[in-house]
Amino acid sequence: MNLAHLHLLLNHFPIIGTIVALGLFIGSFIGKNDDLKRSALIIFAAMALITLPAFFSGIGAQRAVRKEPGVLTAVIDRHEGAAILAMFLMLSTGALALVELWKRRRIATERPWSGTILAILIFSLLTTGVMARVGTTGGDIRHPEIWDVKDVTQETGISAVIHLFEPTPSKFTDLMLVSKYWWAFMMDLHFIGLALLIGTVGILNLRILGFEKRLTGASLHRLMPWAMAGFGINVLTGTLAFIGMPAYYTFDVAFWLKILAVMLLGLNVAVFYLTNAFETVERLGPGDDAPRLAKFIAGSSLFLWFAVITLGRYIQSYADTLH
Amino acid sequence: MVPPTFLRTIEDSGFSTWLRESESPFAFYFVLLFHTFGLALLVGANTVIDLRILGVAREIPLAPLKRLFRIMWIGFGINAFTGVLLIIAYPTKALTNPVFYLKLTFIALAIWIITMLRDRVFDANLDETAMMARGATLAKWSLFLWVGAISAGRLLAYTYRYLTYPC
Repeated sequence: MNLAHLHLLLNHFPIIGTIVALGLFIGSFIGKNDDLKRSALIIFAAMALITLPAFFSGIGAQRAVRKEPGVLTAVIDRHEGAAILAMFLMLSTGALALVELWKRRRIATERPWSGTILAILIFSLLTTGVMARVGTTGGDIRHPEIWDVKDVTQETGISAVIHLFEPTPSKFTDLMLVSKYWWAFMMDLHFIGLALLIGTVGILNLRILGFEKRLTGASLHRLMPWAMAGFGINVLTGTLAFIGMPAYYTFDVAFWLKILAVMLLGLNVAVFYLTNAFETVERLGPGDDAPRLAKFIAGSSLFLWFAVITLGRYIQSYADTLH
Repeated sequence: MVPPTFLRTIEDSGFSTWLRESESPFAFYFVLLFHTFGLALLVGANTVIDLRILGVAREIPLAPLKRLFRIMWIGFGINAFTGVLLIIAYPTKALTNPVFYLKLTFIALAIWIITMLRDRVFDANLDETAMMARGATLAKWSLFLWVGAISAGRLLAYTYRYLTYPC
């Protein structure tokens, strides 16, 4: 397997997944079905996470096809510009979905409409639209069977409108490298996000594992929006850093293992909230011992977060280890 | 102005050269990794205490958070130790950069705040309201100082004048 394989494997998930989730989301209003809405929100968040490796593997795929006969650099660049726009829309949709999922747990009264719901609807519609364009422009890169019936370099109709909002990849890269102080600032935020995330997630995990049993599970769980804020800061600064030096990260084995660990953490969080582990932690009173499943999830979460730090630290020394 | 020659003496030592030039993943990057672990423990735990004192997640009882002080001291110990190793690896780079002294000042003040949080807030037999009232200013300073220390530390990678001793 190489990065081109990985790109082809992953890139359909955000495109199809957002369409499915949007369908469920709209259906939940028509059918007044709350479980449907919750499912849609979970899929939005999951698709946002999987968009990261789908995007990051694009540079490797690009290098694999760039020199093929008939493949045009301009068409690849257009696909990448569309992908950058779609990724930021997808990440916004996913972040809003997590905010809404959190609010639904905290506030028992279920209002059918709120600012967040409206924002999710708007962002998911935009995401689905631009994702469709990412798919189309990606297909234009190397499918000679359609080149006869379609001039892939032409923009018409709504594509031309979306194109106005798409960044030029090389200009975006230059912008990230405009000053070493901008780069230092992004890395600084990445470390501040790290401290916020590890501090808040760490104490909840330690309590589940039996550290300081006077603390209750439900009270520590109230820190999770701060963990999500730290994670959000780091996804944003990490993604911007990737756009700044795409080849540096793409051909780095430590970077990919770090992304794998982040994906496994997504799975870890999903298992925590979708099994009864979360309920048992919420009921964890002073002196209580957590059940084995919750302890397993907490232990693997701690392990994976420290693996993320470790692998992130080794990116610099493992540059140029993949080809 | 030429940097003091003792920096060259440290740099020429076998240990410094090994830390700096070894291809082993257990040399420089390993020290840097543990410096980051220490940061996560120390600043992570302190942030939770600061946020709680400032009113975040009020359901968390304050007194049991005293246990986090041990984690902070472990983190501080790791970072004092790995910090010395990082200076041994690149003495000229660190000690000729004014930002390095700024970082040390931020850290010294942040650690002083931790001892004040311990003595005046956690060990003073106060109820929760009094703990929050007395700790609020300390907590704000603590957050500010850690952001400053991390920022100054990050800047060290971008603002140095000499990477190694100029020949």
